[in-house]
Amino acid sequence: MESEQKRVNVLLVEDDPGDQKLIKAAIPCESCEISLSIVSSGEAALNYLAKTSEQPEQFRRPNLILLDLNMPGIGGKEFLRRVKADEDFDAIPVVVVTTSDSEADIQECYGLHAAGYIQKSAMPDEFSQVLQKLTRYWFSVSAMVQN
Amino acid sequence: MDIYKTVMVMLVEDDPGDQKLIRMSLKEQRIANMPIVSPSAEDALEYLNANKTGDTQVNLPDLILLDLNMPGMGGKEFLRRIKSDPQLECIPVVILTTSDSDKDILESFKLQAAGYVKKPVNITDFQEVMRTLTDYWFTICKRITHEPDRENSKCLIS
Repeated sequence: MESEQKRVNVLLVEDDPGDQKLIKAAIPCESCEISLSIVSSGEAALNYLAKTSEQPEQFRRPNLILLDLNMPGIGGKEFLRRVKADEDFDAIPVVVVTTSDSEADIQECYGLHAAGYIQKSAMPDEFSQVLQKLTRYWFSVSAMVQN
Repeated sequence: MDIYKTVMVMLVEDDPGDQKLIRMSLKEQRIANMPIVSPSAEDALEYLNANKTGDTQVNLPDLILLDLNMPGMGGKEFLRRIKSDPQLECIPVVILTTSDSDKDILESFKLQAAGYVKKPVNITDFQEVMRTLTDYWFTICKRITHEPDRENSKCLIS
């Protein structure tokens, strides 16, 4: 396990304010400094990524993207497809966090190279534990691309 | 946990010591099925290609743990081939390597690795890392179901 303090920028793409709040509360990690940016649509997330090179202080380039699927507009899958087709951003791992457990969604997201597919739990405590396991894997065990 | 009984892990690793350590760690994590161990990328590809269609698709792994530095094709070329094969691209591949070079990390994520884990030297740390890894992939992440004869057995259902 790494002992040094790691800085991680996370982009959360989520339209539900309740889920945003829950994820924001569960995501802090002991061994790293996290900067969480929240946008509420696929379009807003694409705009955010476009601004990361022009205004890097305000729009920090994410090391990890947490992505809801069912959102108005282009939605999560189309966003994922576009990120993975863009050579400036294709190295950013995208983890899907959704209420859907449809087999087609799971297979399609892994086919689009999602780096995990997590079903939101209706129970806040349970969801919080799930998010802690997610952060432990991504922030303490897996290396990340340095910005 | 029951879910672990059905999990199938493929380990692509040429070092017998590391193979043993990872096998032990998976056993410790109650992964009931022994991993499919391939000592080279070529061997792993041969297995996957032989099992990617029809009824044998059920033998495809849920997760591939991949070493980078191996004789022959090596880990990165293997990853490139898996991720450009519509029948195999949906299998998550996690890099498990001694290298912590920024170049290897960037290249692996560009090739769509689903994680990049530097092998810890200490056995206790190794087991802790494997615990976190299996917790993520097998208790919180949804897994793909390999179903034979479905839309030409492609991963992607549109």
